[in-house]
Amino acid sequence: MLFPTITFAVFFLVVFVGNWLLMPRPHLWKPFILLASFVFYGWWEWRFVLLLALSALANWLFAAAIARSGTAAGRKWLLAVAVAANFGVLGWFKYYGFFITSVVNVLEVFGLNADIALLRIVLPVGISFLTFRVLSYVIDVYRGKLRTASLIDFAVYVSFFPYIMAGPIARAGEVLPQLVSPRDPRRIDTARAFFLIFAGLAKKMLLADYLATHIVNGVFTTPGQYTSLETLFGIIGYSVQIYCDFSAYADIAIGISLLLGFQLPDNFNTPYTAVSVQDFWRRWHMTLSRWLRDYLYIPLGGNRKGQTRTYVNIMVTMLLGGLWHGAGWPFVFWGGMHGAALVAEHRRVDRRRQRAQRPERRTTALDGEDIGDLGVVGEAGAGAGAVAGGSSAPLEYDRRPWHGGVWPRLGVFAFVTFAWVFFRSPTFGAALSVLGRLFQSWGGIGAAVTPALLLVIALGIGIQYVPRSLYERTEAGFSALNPALQGVVLAAGFMLLDVLGPSGPASFLYFRF
Amino acid sequence: MADRSPDDLPFGRRRRSAASALAAILVALLLGALLNAPAMKKTAQESPFGGARSFRLALIDPLAAVSHWLFLDRPARLTAEALGKPDPGPSGAPLVVVVTPRPRPSGRPGPAATVKPLPPPKRGDPLRLYIGGDSMAGVPGMALTNLAKDTGVMEPKLDYHISSGLCRPDFFNWPAQLVRQAKALHPGAAVVMFGANDQQGVQAANGKVYAFETAGWKTEYRRRVRDTMDILFDGGVKRIYWIGQPIMPEAIFSRHMRVLNAIYRSEAHKHPRVRYIDAYRLFSTGSGAYSDYLKDEKGRLQQVREGDGTHLTYAGGMRLARVVLAAIKADWLPNKKSGALSGSPSPRASAKVSPAP
Repeated sequence: MLFPTITFAVFFLVVFVGNWLLMPRPHLWKPFILLASFVFYGWWEWRFVLLLALSALANWLFAAAIARSGTAAGRKWLLAVAVAANFGVLGWFKYYGFFITSVVNVLEVFGLNADIALLRIVLPVGISFLTFRVLSYVIDVYRGKLRTASLIDFAVYVSFFPYIMAGPIARAGEVLPQLVSPRDPRRIDTARAFFLIFAGLAKKMLLADYLATHIVNGVFTTPGQYTSLETLFGIIGYSVQIYCDFSAYADIAIGISLLLGFQLPDNFNTPYTAVSVQDFWRRWHMTLSRWLRDYLYIPLGGNRKGQTRTYVNIMVTMLLGGLWHGAGWPFVFWGGMHGAALVAEHRRVDRRRQRAQRPERRTTALDGEDIGDLGVVGEAGAGAGAVAGGSSAPLEYDRRPWHGGVWPRLGVFAFVTFAWVFFRSPTFGAALSVLGRLFQSWGGIGAAVTPALLLVIALGIGIQYVPRSLYERTEAGFSALNPALQGVVLAAGFMLLDVLGPSGPASFLYFRF
Repeated sequence: MADRSPDDLPFGRRRRSAASALAAILVALLLGALLNAPAMKKTAQESPFGGARSFRLALIDPLAAVSHWLFLDRPARLTAEALGKPDPGPSGAPLVVVVTPRPRPSGRPGPAATVKPLPPPKRGDPLRLYIGGDSMAGVPGMALTNLAKDTGVMEPKLDYHISSGLCRPDFFNWPAQLVRQAKALHPGAAVVMFGANDQQGVQAANGKVYAFETAGWKTEYRRRVRDTMDILFDGGVKRIYWIGQPIMPEAIFSRHMRVLNAIYRSEAHKHPRVRYIDAYRLFSTGSGAYSDYLKDEKGRLQQVREGDGTHLTYAGGMRLARVVLAAIKADWLPNKKSGALSGSPSPRASAKVSPAP
C-alpha cells in the first residue's frame, strides 16, 4: 500500500479511529495495530506477512533465550546464531542473484561451467529495514541495555506499519517504551504531524517525481541523448531527487506515527548543508548511520585500536553500508568512496592532532577521542578549537576536516553528488557513460534544461537552508487554527498536489532497499 | 522516546486531541475528495472494464456531481488551466479509435510481397528511429537508444508511456500519439512493443465490451494492431519492428502473452514491411522455461528480469535491443559486416526475428 493513494487514506482513517478507541485497552489495541500493520504490508504481497510474523517470533525467542542463558558463552553463541539467521534470510532474499551471478561468472573465467539451479527470488519490501530493527532488539538484549518485551509488544514494534517499508530504523529501545503505557489522546502534536505529511507528499510528488521523469531517468539510461549541460543537471537532479524521495517517506512515516501517538527518530537533517563528509553522515539517513556505528563500527573496535585499525573499521563499515543498499558492485563502490572520504577527513584531523601532541607543544599523549566518533556518525561537538580531555591539560586543535562555510559545503555536495552516480547506475559501465557524457557535448544547452527544472533543483536544495524556526513558526500558526479550518487548508493543499503532481502514484526509491 | 511536556513545543505550538485531529482529517478527506472529484472520476473511468470499475464509478459519479453542483471542481480545473496542465477530469478521449481501412502498400499481403530497397542511412542523413510502447518498452528502448546512437547513422527517439496499451485509448491514445510523433519526427523505422497491459476488456466500435481472450476481443484487438501499423506507414515509416511479449514467471500470464504474440506475429507476417521480434523465445531457457537469469552471447550469466518478474533489467533490455538492432541493420545496412557496428546479436538471438521477405 502506498502512502499517496486513496486506498491508504481510507485505511488510515479506519486505523486512526480504531487506534484511539482501543488505546485505553492495550490487550485490544495491540492485536488491532498488529493486524492493521499486517494488512498494510500484506496489501503488497500477503505471503510475506508470514515472513514478518516468523521473523518477529524467531527473534523474540532468540532474545528470550539470550536473556535466560546462564553463561556468557551461551549468550554469545545464541547471539551469533540470531545474527547469522537474520543475515542469512536477508542474504537469501536480497543477495541470491548477486551472489549466484558473481560465482558463476568467476567460475566461467576459469573455464568451469557451473550448472547451478537458478531460483526466482522475490525480494520482500523493506527486508533490510526489518533485519536491522529486529537485530537492534536482540543485540540490545544481549548487551543488557534492554529488557525482553512481550511477544505482542515486540511484534508490534517489528511490524508497525508507518516505518515497515522504508524506515526510519527506529530501535526497539525507542519504540517499546512507548508501548508500555497508552498514549494520551489529548496531547497529539497534530500540527507537526500534518506538516510532515504534507511536506513529505509535496517533496515526493512535486520535486522528486518531477526530476525523475523530466531528466534524471533519461540521463541515467540514455546519456547519449543529452548534452553535457543536461547531463550535469541530470546528475545534480538525482542528488535532489533521492533526498526529496527518501526524506519524504521518512517525513510521512513520522507524521503518521505522531497522529497515532508515537514518536519516531528523525532520519534527515538538511544533509546538503553538510560541511564535511562526516557531517553529511550525521545528517543523511541518520537512523542507518547510528545503527552502523553502534552495531558494526564499535563492535569492530571503533577508534579504540589505533589509527590504522580505525581507518580499516571505517572502510569496512561503509563498504557493508553500501552493500546493504543494494546487491551490486556499484553500491559497494559507492560505499567505498564514502569510506575513503571519511578516512581522508579523519586522517587530516588526526595529523592536526598529532601536531598538537608534539613534545615542544604538548606533553599530553592522549586526547580522549570518544569511541562513538566513527566520523560516519560521529557525535556533535567537534567544532573549531574543541577541547579534548587529556589527563593534565586540554589538547586544543581544530577538529573540522575543512575550514570555511561555502567551499566545504560546495565541495561536499559535489562529492556526494558524484558518488550518487555510481549509486544510481546499474553497472560501472553505465556510470562511466553518464560521467563521460559530461565532457562530450558542450555545444548547446539542451531542451531538458528548463526554468522549471532549475526552479525545482533550487527548491530541493533551498529548503534545506530555510531556518528550522520558520517551519516551526508555520506549524505553530497552523496549530492555532480551528480543526475544520485545518482540514480545509489540507484539502486545498492536497488538491494543489494532485493538479501539480504526476498522474498515478510512484513508489518510493528506498522500497527496493 | 518520551513525549515532551505539554508546554515545551516551540513558538507555542499547540497539541490537540484525537477528536480534533479526526475532525481535521475528515474535513480534509471529504473536502479533498470533492475538490479532486474530476481526477478521481478520470482514474475510475480508466480502470479495466468489469465489476470493480462499475462499483468505483457508482461511488464517484454522485461525488463528482455534487462537486460540480457546488462549484468545487472549478479550483482544480482553473489551477490546471492557469498552469498549462491538462484538465484533471476525464479526458473525453474515445474508448475506440478506428482508422479508415486502406489497401496494403504492397497490394497484397504476405511475407513474399516485394518491397522497395531501403536507402542506407548516413551520418549526415541518419535513420530516424522511433521507439514506442508501454513500460515494457522502456528499458529495452533505452538500451536500443544507446546502441543505435553508437552506430553514428541512427537517430533514435524513445517514447514510452507507463500502463498504456492498445486496449484503452481513453487512458492513453496511442493512435493519436503515433500520428503526432510521425508528423513531428518523420521516422524511417519504428520499433513498438505493446501488450503487457492489454489483458483486459476492450470496447469495439459497435459499443460492445469484449472480455480478454474471447473471439470478439481477438477480432477487435487484431484490428487495433493492424491500425497501429497503418498509422505508422501513413506517417512515412518504411519498416516496423514489432516486439512480442517475453515469457512471464506465472503460467497464466505467459499464456496471455502467447495469445497477444499470436496476433502480433500473424499480423506482422501478413505485411512485408513488418518484422516480428520474438522476445518470448529470447527470454526463455533452452527448455522453454522462464528464468530471471540467462547467459549473454559471451556466456556470462546475467539477471535479465526485474524483481517483479515482468520488466526487463538493463542487461535484459540490452539482450533484446541487440536483436532488434540486428534486424534493423539487416534491413538498412545489408552490406555492413556483422559486428562492424556495435550491438551484433548472438547466433541464437538472431533466430528470433521473423524471416525477411
